[in-house]
Amino acid sequence: MTDKPKILYVSHNHPTVRPGGAEAYAYELYRAVRDGGEFEPLFLARTGPPVSISSRYHEGTLLTGVNEDPNQYFFYTDTLEYDWLNGTPRGKAALIKYLREFLEAQRPDIVHLQHTLFFGYDMLRELRNTLGEEVPILYTLHEFLPICHRNGQLVRTTTEKPCREESPRRCHECFPEVSPQEFFMRKRFIQSQMSLVDRFIAPSNFLRDRYVDWGLPAEKVFPEEYGRLPVTPAPTRDRRVRNRLVFIGQLSYFKGINVLLRAMKRLQEDGVDVQLAVYGANLELQPDEFRTEFAELLEATNETVSFEGEFNHDDLPTIMADADWVVVPSVWWENSPLVIQEAGQHRRPVIASDIGGMAEKVHDGVSGLHFKAADPASLAETIARAVGTRRLWDELQRRIEPPYEMDEHVRSLGRHYRELLASRSEEELVTPPAPATEIESVRYA
Amino acid sequence: MPEAELERMTATADPALEPLAALLAADVVAVHLGPEDGTDGLEISILDEPASEEVRSECVDLRTFLRERLAPLPSEERGAVMTLLDEVAAAEPASADPIALSASRALVREALREPLPVSVVERDEPQGLHFDSVHALAEDAFYVRGWARDDQAPMQRLTVISPEGSRVELLPGIYREPRPDVDSFYEDPTRTGAEGTGFLGYCETGAPSLLSSGWVLEMENALGVGREFPGPQVSRDLLAARAAILSDLHKESDWQTPLMDHVVPAVSRIQQRLEELAKIKDVWDFGEPAGSPENSIVVPLYGRIDFLEHQLAQFVHDPELRESELIYVLDSPELETALKTSAGQLFELYGVPFRVVVLAQNGGYSVANNRGASLAHGRRLLLLNSDVLPAAPGWLGRMAAFYEEQDSVGALGPKLLFEDDTLQHAGIRFQRPPGGGAWENEHYFKGLHRDLPAANLTRRVPAVSGACMMIDRELFEDLGGLRGMYVQGDYEDTDLCLRLREQGRDTWYLPEVELYHLEGQSYALETRTAMSRYNVWLHTRLWDEEIAAAMAETE
Repeated sequence: MTDKPKILYVSHNHPTVRPGGAEAYAYELYRAVRDGGEFEPLFLARTGPPVSISSRYHEGTLLTGVNEDPNQYFFYTDTLEYDWLNGTPRGKAALIKYLREFLEAQRPDIVHLQHTLFFGYDMLRELRNTLGEEVPILYTLHEFLPICHRNGQLVRTTTEKPCREESPRRCHECFPEVSPQEFFMRKRFIQSQMSLVDRFIAPSNFLRDRYVDWGLPAEKVFPEEYGRLPVTPAPTRDRRVRNRLVFIGQLSYFKGINVLLRAMKRLQEDGVDVQLAVYGANLELQPDEFRTEFAELLEATNETVSFEGEFNHDDLPTIMADADWVVVPSVWWENSPLVIQEAGQHRRPVIASDIGGMAEKVHDGVSGLHFKAADPASLAETIARAVGTRRLWDELQRRIEPPYEMDEHVRSLGRHYRELLASRSEEELVTPPAPATEIESVRYA
Repeated sequence: MPEAELERMTATADPALEPLAALLAADVVAVHLGPEDGTDGLEISILDEPASEEVRSECVDLRTFLRERLAPLPSEERGAVMTLLDEVAAAEPASADPIALSASRALVREALREPLPVSVVERDEPQGLHFDSVHALAEDAFYVRGWARDDQAPMQRLTVISPEGSRVELLPGIYREPRPDVDSFYEDPTRTGAEGTGFLGYCETGAPSLLSSGWVLEMENALGVGREFPGPQVSRDLLAARAAILSDLHKESDWQTPLMDHVVPAVSRIQQRLEELAKIKDVWDFGEPAGSPENSIVVPLYGRIDFLEHQLAQFVHDPELRESELIYVLDSPELETALKTSAGQLFELYGVPFRVVVLAQNGGYSVANNRGASLAHGRRLLLLNSDVLPAAPGWLGRMAAFYEEQDSVGALGPKLLFEDDTLQHAGIRFQRPPGGGAWENEHYFKGLHRDLPAANLTRRVPAVSGACMMIDRELFEDLGGLRGMYVQGDYEDTDLCLRLREQGRDTWYLPEVELYHLEGQSYALETRTAMSRYNVWLHTRLWDEEIAAAMAETE
């Protein structure tokens, strides 16, 4: 036994099952906290269809182990029975039986949620049911799912423009089949669950502001950038002309790859000497319309653009070594894009859309360049300026701030954990009685 | 009666006749034809004792009796026999085998009835008669529809006869409606006047009528010329009958139409039947209910059982809800299985104790509330819709405190909001459309912002919404609860407020308490329009003067 406070991290996926930014970060955090030695972390990763074949592994439990690590578990949930609108499982057995049993056996001292997707927001209610009020609950907000039914994109279905203000009426405009009243109930439901969180961690100010606008109490939302594990920066190309661009990310409408390709088409037509390498996955998951346009644009830019397809994260230094600029052309707000941090770690200036988390993390004219989001002409002009202005690259590179290190991040989170634990021990807290487990049924003749 | 004689009948060979025999003779009833007390006539009496063998041996079977003794009687006397049989059947409260009794009565009717020539629908025929439909609303209540015309002489009678022989005269009370389709068939453009060719309306038979076929429509004119027409199959689907009857109201534009004299009793009988069918089938308790609760919340669940989860996710934040009694009434019996699983799990998750009352059939808004209230223990009832969510905890206690402070308070309603923070309800007033007409319910300040100063005055109002209404439980019970004569969740609440007003009770609006009413998600709008026309007219029919007085007070 150990006296170290036990922290339960909950993620919606395990990065060894399917790669993804938030889950990769969550797993890195788990390992960093474990190596830090002050706390004893536990990692609970949701799995199940579509990333696994079956909706459970063993009979009679939703758990399986992970890589023989006694502190990591998979937790199977079924997306078929998931209410996508309200973000809750239709049947609650996964929460009131299986999660409850897990919590009773593990008795964590702190819960730090990275995601509640496919568990359900109401897993928060079950955490309180079983662990009581004295166990602090933290929740890192990685995206905007609670606010926006469109997978949290905050982009309107009607205009494909970024959305600045949610409301039942506007959400109903985006989803005519869902009534304004249902959107209102959705928000009240999610907020009811989220009210059980003690502290929210916001990786960007932009994200924090959106959630405070949405209704989270400002005093509960703490900005805290993602920590990065240290890397050796990729060597800078020994060139005078800084004309090599790279795009790294999902090949989807929201990531703006087609905006970038349209800009490249203009530059090619104008005879600008510039090269772009495109690394990205999940093209097959995209709508036909997007894929057709992507293919046509690739064809039209075949002199200046090379499509490299999926990439292994371990190859990032090599990819960066071949690039001068990293382009982040998303047409949605973003939170704190990992690719911007990675560019920073490898000391590559970023050309980014002038909105949301990108505008916040890339300082225009200081550590990178902004262009007008979703505007290929503005992007083409910005790229032309970037590659055509002598010494601009060197000036920007010089001012790139060192990345936020994981160690520092873990120390900062540790302060949150200790503060919350201390506030608990100061006052006497009474655990509310658990609801009776028996259901009485009275039959009347 | 030509011969004075006493006949005793018993069930013998023909099993189809047995039930009638059971009623008319055998061990229970004796049929006396003729003057036992010396006068002419026919008498049927009930024997207290089982008939002896001696008596039995004097009996004949019913068919023989009908054929040999009754059929040869003159038509008037046969009519008298049928009338008496009808009266006996009406007086007999319950039969062991009512369907077979009906079948026997139908046999008697066919043996004794004097048939008229069947109406032929042809252009040159002066008489024309058609029986379109019979809706059975109860065993003795029907809604009939058809048309009748006579070019020869004024119509003297228009009679429907049930398969069992009950005769109901439709003139003069039946509702006549124009039938241009019929008039144009007869190429009779001159045919106008107050009376339409068509008829429709409500009628009651003396004795129960259970058979699906065998109805007859008869007509006779001033010259004694008669015609008859066989009736269609009886339709027994109550909801279809209700929809058909309510849609007749589109023929009229004035709430005082004589058509309402037929529609109101017809729909009331249907509502009464539906109410009887919607008994409490099951009660499930989740968790330990609060001991001696002050407030009992009654929430009907209709269709959208997912609202339960949304309400519990809000109620869980309010300690007052654990001190109250929370009663959900499932008015969609088809969802029983789904709700049982879900309710148990939701109780586990939220820990708010509640009770679920399952109705055997859909009973509608008033029935569901009344059934729930019948199991309540609190001093006060809080009627709540399932699509209402509190804006913040503490709402119930504040309503209860206000209710206690007021003398002679009847109903109390809070401010209700739409999802965009505009007013859904700030009390209800009544308004006649320009040019007169039925009083319509109008929510004060609907659609204006919640902060509108005029909507934030605590005051007496003519009525409040039943979507969230507090009322003393005993008072509610003394009034018999919400009245089920209205159709599907409309005007029952204002009807209750007006009945409270009759008793000298005030209705109050309390704006300091706010809840969201996410209305309109449960019902389809089209079906509501036909119903609301009826509800509005019925409401005015019952309350015209009281409403005028209430409105005069507020102005």
